[in-house]
Amino acid sequence: MPSVISLQKLAKHYQVPEREAGLKAAAKGLFKRQYKNVKAVDEISFEIQPGEVVGFLGPNGAGKTTTLKMLSGLLHPTSGSASVLDFEPARRSHDFLRQITLVMGNRNQLSWDLPALDSFDLQRAIYSIPADEFKRTRDAFIEILEVGDLVQKPIRNLSLGERMKMEIVGALLHRPKILFLDEPTLGLDVTMQKRIRTFIAEYNKRYGATVLLTSHYMADVEALCKRIIVIHHGKLLFDGNLSQLAEKFSAFKTIGFTLENPATDLSQFGEVVSTDGSRIVMRVPKEKTSAVTSRLLNDLSVEDLTVEAAPIEDVIESVFAVKKEAVE
Amino acid sequence: MKGISLAYNYLRIGILNEFQYRANLYIQILQTFIALATGLIGLNLVFSQTTALGGWSKPELLAVMGVFTLIGGIIRAAIQPNMERLMEEIREGTLDYALTKPADAQLLISVREFRLWQIVDIITGFVVLAVALSQLNWLIDLWSVLGFLSALVMGSMMIYSFWLIITSTAFWFIRVQEIANLFEGLYAAGRWPIDIYPNWLRYGLTFLVPVAFAISIPSQALTGRLTLETWFGALVFTVFLFLFARGIFKLGLKGYSGASA
Repeated sequence: MPSVISLQKLAKHYQVPEREAGLKAAAKGLFKRQYKNVKAVDEISFEIQPGEVVGFLGPNGAGKTTTLKMLSGLLHPTSGSASVLDFEPARRSHDFLRQITLVMGNRNQLSWDLPALDSFDLQRAIYSIPADEFKRTRDAFIEILEVGDLVQKPIRNLSLGERMKMEIVGALLHRPKILFLDEPTLGLDVTMQKRIRTFIAEYNKRYGATVLLTSHYMADVEALCKRIIVIHHGKLLFDGNLSQLAEKFSAFKTIGFTLENPATDLSQFGEVVSTDGSRIVMRVPKEKTSAVTSRLLNDLSVEDLTVEAAPIEDVIESVFAVKKEAVE
Repeated sequence: MKGISLAYNYLRIGILNEFQYRANLYIQILQTFIALATGLIGLNLVFSQTTALGGWSKPELLAVMGVFTLIGGIIRAAIQPNMERLMEEIREGTLDYALTKPADAQLLISVREFRLWQIVDIITGFVVLAVALSQLNWLIDLWSVLGFLSALVMGSMMIYSFWLIITSTAFWFIRVQEIANLFEGLYAAGRWPIDIYPNWLRYGLTFLVPVAFAISIPSQALTGRLTLETWFGALVFTVFLFLFARGIFKLGLKGYSGASA
């Protein structure tokens, strides 16, 4: 199948004015500015197939948002090329824009003082959605998200989570084929995050849409994305399955077990991460896992022993830590 | 077609929004009243000393005041709020949403806001104009009405284009609020007909800030002063200014980087 999103050595550099702190430096800057070239995105390449839900991960400032902005036509790339649905995003052709959407968790586009329904009508006009199709889609979304009683209240009277639901409905009314979601669950509580996630999954299933999602909540990524792409300092670090990521980058595994005598000294086996009554969780280097497990079983009376891959948060953290050392 | 539908929908939203803030209507009525009163007092003071000012009689100047109020209302209802929002969105990087829509970006940023209650100024402007014209024993003739209306449209377009040019510089300079404030001061100069000012100021106001054109030409049309040459000149200038503004805006969009994250 031909890919719907394709990046070839895509790069974005910014010229950032730079000066030392203080009045003297500021005054000097009035006449001669020093610029620093920042490579926000540094020659990334990847392909995404239709219908895929891809998690796009990286620490703050890694270049995720810049990449999404280039893919949605907001920024012109410095070099390299991007193609979305065979369009060049930066040209911002209306046929292209009609088929994509961009949701940013930290910004809203619905009218603050009006009920969401009014703003939805506006979206209909902007995207020239036929009236019956618009009504069908809108009502279906309202039903899935169970927001029937909220759409008539002014946006300003809604909670953060409720507002985000409305934002997402508004952003998807034209039934885009490509969804760029930048932290759609930012600041929401766990239940609300889950609802938004379920909705995105449902949308993806129903319309076969392709989703590129950034999130700081690993639960989002684990629930939605089979594939993840990790970038750091604008460079691509990893592109593959979530399980492969743990495989590749995690140097540790966690061993959990229940110990009959909690007073036993465990320092010779590995690092104890947590103790909850008699339940112990330990972290051991990956290559020593089997040796440590058999020693635990032989030397101590342990029960309910489990061996797990490190939690995804830890894996991601170690990915960035490893890379940082490599860079420095 | 789509442009009209879009403008209509935004207008509708804008009006719905304004109904949420009814108090603004009363504040607006008060403001218009004060502005009108000070304008009339000024006019009477001048004409207590003389019978004509730079060739303009009192009722004629009253007509200029009507046009001034009228165009001021149009500016504050439809032009200024959109430009202020654009300015703010460029600075904060929230222009992103407008740019991911399948619609002409310039059209979209120009119709998003509408201040309904400024209509008080527009109505007042028309009333003042009507009073002035009756004092002039003005006979309705088709050509001067057409001249007036076309000049009103051209004047509004000039001011819109001029404002868009200033606002678009925010793509490079980020903070341009001060320049926009300057415009308000210059606009106040339009209260008097352009020919009473010294030449240097007259040309400055006309070509640097098309205030003079915007207000004087509709007034000239009503008082029988508008020549065909001036009308054509205004038309050419309007088209030029509009295209220039569009060019600058597009250039700015290209360099738009948006505040990150």
